[in-house]
Amino acid sequence: MTVKTLLLAGGTLLISASAASASGFQVNLGGQKNIGMGGVGVGLSLDQAAMYYNPGALAMVRENGVQVGFNAALARVSFRSENGGEQRNIENKVVTPFNFYASFGPKDAKYKFGVAVYTPYGSTLKYADNWEGRYALTEITLQSVYVQPTASYAITPQLSIGAGLTILAYGAVNLQKDIPLPTGNGHIILDGKTKTQFGYNAGIFFKPSDKLSAGVSYRSKIDATVESGDVTYSGLATGASAALVNRNFTATNFTATLPLPAVASVGVGISPTDKLTIGLDASLTFWSAYRTLDFGFSGDNGNAAATAKPGEVTDGRVGGNNFSTSKRFYQDALAFRLGGQYKVDDKLTVRLGSSYDFTAVKDGYVGPETPDADRILGTAGLSYQVTENLGVDASFLFEAFLKRSQSQQQLLDNGTTDRVAGTYRTNVYVPGIGVHYKF
Amino acid sequence: MKPFIKRTAPVLGLLGLGLASCQPDIEAPSVSAGSADFSRYISVGNSLTAGYADGGLYREGQLNSYPSILAGQFALVGGGDFMQPLFTEAQSNGGGYLRLAGFTTATATSFSAPITAPVTTNLAVRGGTAQNPLYTQFLDPINNLGVPGIRMSDIQTPGYGSTQGNPYFERITPPALALQTYLQRVQATVASIKPTFFTEWLGNNDVLGYATAGGAASFITPTATFTTNTGLVLDALVAGGAKGLVATIPDVTGIPFFTTVGPSYRASLDLNKVPVTAAPLIYTTGILAPGQPNTRVLTAKLSDIRDAGGNGNLLLTLTASPYLRFYGQPSGKYWRDFYKQATGAAPTGPTDPVYNGFLRGLAVDTTKAFGQSTGNPFPSTLVLDPTEQTTVATATTALNSALIAAANARNLAVFDANVFFRTVAVNGFATNAVNNTAGYLSGNLFGLDGVHPTPRGYSVIANEMLKAINAKYGSSFQGVNPNTYRGVVFP
Repeated sequence: MTVKTLLLAGGTLLISASAASASGFQVNLGGQKNIGMGGVGVGLSLDQAAMYYNPGALAMVRENGVQVGFNAALARVSFRSENGGEQRNIENKVVTPFNFYASFGPKDAKYKFGVAVYTPYGSTLKYADNWEGRYALTEITLQSVYVQPTASYAITPQLSIGAGLTILAYGAVNLQKDIPLPTGNGHIILDGKTKTQFGYNAGIFFKPSDKLSAGVSYRSKIDATVESGDVTYSGLATGASAALVNRNFTATNFTATLPLPAVASVGVGISPTDKLTIGLDASLTFWSAYRTLDFGFSGDNGNAAATAKPGEVTDGRVGGNNFSTSKRFYQDALAFRLGGQYKVDDKLTVRLGSSYDFTAVKDGYVGPETPDADRILGTAGLSYQVTENLGVDASFLFEAFLKRSQSQQQLLDNGTTDRVAGTYRTNVYVPGIGVHYKF
Repeated sequence: MKPFIKRTAPVLGLLGLGLASCQPDIEAPSVSAGSADFSRYISVGNSLTAGYADGGLYREGQLNSYPSILAGQFALVGGGDFMQPLFTEAQSNGGGYLRLAGFTTATATSFSAPITAPVTTNLAVRGGTAQNPLYTQFLDPINNLGVPGIRMSDIQTPGYGSTQGNPYFERITPPALALQTYLQRVQATVASIKPTFFTEWLGNNDVLGYATAGGAASFITPTATFTTNTGLVLDALVAGGAKGLVATIPDVTGIPFFTTVGPSYRASLDLNKVPVTAAPLIYTTGILAPGQPNTRVLTAKLSDIRDAGGNGNLLLTLTASPYLRFYGQPSGKYWRDFYKQATGAAPTGPTDPVYNGFLRGLAVDTTKAFGQSTGNPFPSTLVLDPTEQTTVATATTALNSALIAAANARNLAVFDANVFFRTVAVNGFATNAVNNTAGYLSGNLFGLDGVHPTPRGYSVIANEMLKAINAKYGSSFQGVNPNTYRGVVFP
């Protein structure tokens, strides 16, 4: 219903941004209240979004409810090549990470059930035409939607545990780049849907007093695997050398696996007064699982049929190869988050937060699909309780990536010359809004 | 809930629009000259400096010459106009060059092979003979003194710019000064332009001529002569206090001229299951000249021809390509072409008495199997054998030592093209996610003659020179994006 509405609201501005709001292509936009507080939540039991941050805390959330949130993430990536030239910007695309939670359970029971739907990883970028890195990437769309049925149980009034089955219900990848053919520029699109995969999200929540709470949680890795994506080309050779050039581009399908890494988090919550709550989280995303991005190619579009030697296997080629591998060698990435909320009155709550996310990408490995860097985030938010049951949550997140440069020499040293040397700078703006309904 | 979304969504959208203008700016890195002055730049050198490409000098190559690219960078720090002896638009094809016309169709027993064709329209030929043409002159003052074909050993030759000399030097030499040597031209240019910066890249032809002729013709300049002349030309260039860069001679055996035909011939032999370790390859070595009986015959195997994997020690020249299919056949194809090259006319027929006398003088019998008999050996001109390779390598090292010593003595920057192109030959050279190699045609860096760079190759050279200049003079040039310069364009 509303994704479409929101996109329409973005109006004609259909284009724009990476949704990543944590290291790598991770999206830490689990709940609107939490977003306003710098993304904390592991040591808190604010609302149903606990299913995302710490399923163990769900049993401590008093009311049942339904809540939904939408974010309009707008990344502004700038790039300047090592070889001079003008600054390249990405086109403006708005992506809309969302979250949805519903919880059920008898009012005073020790247990609660719930279902969560959220977008833990994703990225959308479209670089300026003819930019220096066109042969590495022109456009990427990466989407993932987890559905997470969750159960939580309060062992004692102070201690609760919870776990959810994470289901990669929807995943899609669309990668595009230009190909430097001797006849001019071609273009290739790899487009595929991931198969359904499973993982888990589990946590423990401890609340010794009204003033103090703490939690740990762990969400497991899910490998997003595309088994038979589509390979399409445009701009292949048409002239006298067409047979010779195009015989290297016969693949129609690809397989690839992208790890959506595990995340371990700890958090504490402090409530010095009834009105004030402060959360502090540390989380570690196990990006080191992302070693290489490998594509296997298959299928035959017949481009080599006319020139095949007897017995020559010509199918499944992209650039003459059945396989491509590109080094990622990501590193585990820490993030520290701090945020608080203050209840101004029964209706209004205001929030503030910030966080520092360390980059998942090592020097010399930065690629245009994830122009990652250490990031500083600042957030603000508010909730307004319209009626006793219905409330609105608004949030705003600003994220500045530290300027990140890499030289051609670094690329050569690391064997990562499939990307470009230069300087990236990114700002991300994420306004978001949600509604919650308690019952 | 729905009306609520409807009302707030436009606000979010507008907020987004407003923020969309907040593009983070990356400051353009400043370009500075460092301790050098780039206001007046001249370049001295041979075909590489002139922008020669695809077997000829033509306007597009000139426009993409590395001195022209450098001058574009120097202009960012106050460099002035850089005049090149450009061919006019109407005569843009200059001396003519090779173009890629297409590819042969691959069959079960053969690979697809490139077909090149000479470009013969819009030439700048004003007279002379087909073998020694004269080109439309360009007598305005010029900053680019690159003369295709010139050797370090030629710079003191009077008359080198006359109609009997080098047509490219003749082209830029006023007839009244026909006896002016190249060195004198450099001195005169320094006196008139008063350059503040120069590049000097001479010496390639002092080795290359010998190598590309398979060691059968030309000669390698003696180190002593080379050293003397290097000193003379550099002294002339620094006379007015100019700073500059000296480039070394690349290892010529790594260029496509020597690395293309052998491997592709070996692949085609494999395709046709020819027993290469048994089949002999009989070839001559050393000088091959009319009237000299061909006595220096060596016997190798087809398997001695270097293949794509680097096995084998014989390098075949790019020019060997048309003759390989006559291997093992009674063929006079090569000798007829050699005769035509030497005399200017093809033999009138198999019984042409002059041609037959020519063959007897060479001790060649074209009824014998070509490349399989001592009577009809594979000619020295098309093979660079291990002895010749060693000669070339030794000479390159010696001449480069002389160049580097001369540059260091004058405190100049050095672009070690030899080191650079050796790494390119091994690893290729990636530019902004495009993998360029030293391969023929598809490598992007070398043009159709297998020796001279493409515009892409020249841009890479310019970038490497800028790195050497930055290192020496503390300047901060960023160079150009090589991907915006073309490689070999397929039809």
